[in-house]
Amino acid sequence: MEGFTLIEKIIRKHTDAADEDIYPGNIVWINLDIVTARDYAGPQVIDLFQKYYPGSKTFDNNKIIFTPDCYPYGNDPKHVKDQEKIRVFAKEHDIKVTDLGSGIGSHLLFRRGFSKPGDIVIGADSHYNILGALGILGQGAGDVTLAFAFKTGKSWIKIPETVKVILEGKYTWPTTSKDLALYVLKQLHEYGITGKAIEFCGDVISELTIEDRVTLCSLITEASGMIGFVPTDEVTTEYYKQRNIDIEVLTGDENANYASEFTINIDNLGLYVACPPHPHNVKPIEEVLGTPINSIILGSCTNGSASDIHEAARVLKGSQIKPEVRFGIVPATREDFVEINLNKDMTIILEAGGNFFGAGCSTCAKGQYGLTGGETAVTLTTGNRNTQGKIGPADVYLASPVVAAATAIEGKIAKPKMRDD
Amino acid sequence: MSNEIIDGKARKVLVDDIDTDQIFHQSLLTIHDPEEIKPHIFGNLDGYRNFGKEDNTGKILVVGKNFGKGSTRQQAVTGFLAHKFKAIIGASFGPIYYSNAVNAGLLLVEVPEIANFSIEENDELEIDITQSLLTNKTQEINIKCEKIPIPVLDIMKAGGLMSLGEKFE
Repeated sequence: MEGFTLIEKIIRKHTDAADEDIYPGNIVWINLDIVTARDYAGPQVIDLFQKYYPGSKTFDNNKIIFTPDCYPYGNDPKHVKDQEKIRVFAKEHDIKVTDLGSGIGSHLLFRRGFSKPGDIVIGADSHYNILGALGILGQGAGDVTLAFAFKTGKSWIKIPETVKVILEGKYTWPTTSKDLALYVLKQLHEYGITGKAIEFCGDVISELTIEDRVTLCSLITEASGMIGFVPTDEVTTEYYKQRNIDIEVLTGDENANYASEFTINIDNLGLYVACPPHPHNVKPIEEVLGTPINSIILGSCTNGSASDIHEAARVLKGSQIKPEVRFGIVPATREDFVEINLNKDMTIILEAGGNFFGAGCSTCAKGQYGLTGGETAVTLTTGNRNTQGKIGPADVYLASPVVAAATAIEGKIAKPKMRDD
Repeated sequence: MSNEIIDGKARKVLVDDIDTDQIFHQSLLTIHDPEEIKPHIFGNLDGYRNFGKEDNTGKILVVGKNFGKGSTRQQAVTGFLAHKFKAIIGASFGPIYYSNAVNAGLLLVEVPEIANFSIEENDELEIDITQSLLTNKTQEINIKCEKIPIPVLDIMKAGGLMSLGEKFE
């Protein structure tokens, strides 16, 4: 009998459907391990739930988490009321809230051990598929899907084809996992992975930290893919061991039915920048060196971890950010904030002229630091979207924390000259 | 959705990779009322900024590939329901957008070769759900669509996913 790909294995464990119904293109109902909602969409989920299922309980209050991470403390009366609605509903239904300042929900799910490899999790965040970095099937969902899930604990899924992506070769600093992610995005967008799942493999994988893997998987959404998985290994096992959680090692079967295999050579990978107007418009940095930039954001679920901030701090140490550049840093979670305080990265960046904002999302969904202004605010962000007009009328570029720091010093897109070791 | 044939005039927005920020911009995310969402549809898409103010009642929207990629925002679906589009035909759809639309009762039909199928603005289109066939009645030509999955049809027939949830206790 033919084996199963990783995603098919996960789905199989969460459905009443028979094994012969587990094949690409088929739709099956699945039982969810965790359902989340945030200050964006959460209030509408509550409204729908109360409208359609008045007086009803949720399917399981211990499997729902509210993770307000989009909007800052009280910068808009509507947001404040939305956030309050979540707290009131959560109290009534005895549901956990990771409130403002805790950080990005998707990151908290693994950082705090709320979900583990093999789980299926949905939430109102189109980058929930970053959880594939830990072998978790995470999916973004809209208001209706989530309200139904609050009530039933169920959703449906169209089983995707799986493409095995082999990363061949290795890279060295100043190239980082963001350059890898951008390069892979460009290749996969051209290859065409709409609605498909990816399984990454190759020798380089075992050298990637959990944060690197999150970065890599975070750009699958921008290629219209469903999810990118890094099969669990020693790195994943160790990560969960630190959280006192035993995990099952999850990989696709050798005789699984992969739609195709695609090899990407990453030897001598350089630095890459996603240029306007799409994330997949990825170019070698050499083509855009010197482009004037006056707004820089280091953050997002793609690159907002302490290790990302550390990369920037190493470049910034002893230098000054150009006075006309606004350099905002939005740590992904409170844990990242603590880490950069303990290792003094925060001090280094503050002394260089950077500004810190509360932990949470950044430019992708407005976030703690979102819209950037008018025609003259040309932005470079470590985030994941640069769609024209998204955060302002001017151009937006995506790059790594290393490039962000070098660009902050020069006031134009630049390569890092050195780093503090 | 009571019958198996859906017909309407074509409204073409044949652009690839339309992101949810181009459909309904993130600066408007506090708007949730369908009638208020409606005028903003494609407000951030070059060449279509007045789309929101058009009367599209009963039409079929024709889009390119990867339509609706990007965020999970429900408004990007709600807006087309408010415009009273009967369906959206596209080469392919972002996976989250596909489920958001179906769950809210908006039919999406995938026609992988849509770019090679001649459709002019306001051509009379007809989608035969059972035969998985798209016909351009004005030009008297037809093309195969991807089969619409049975569970999707069940959800559409129930009037959206929320109504199905009432059965669970």
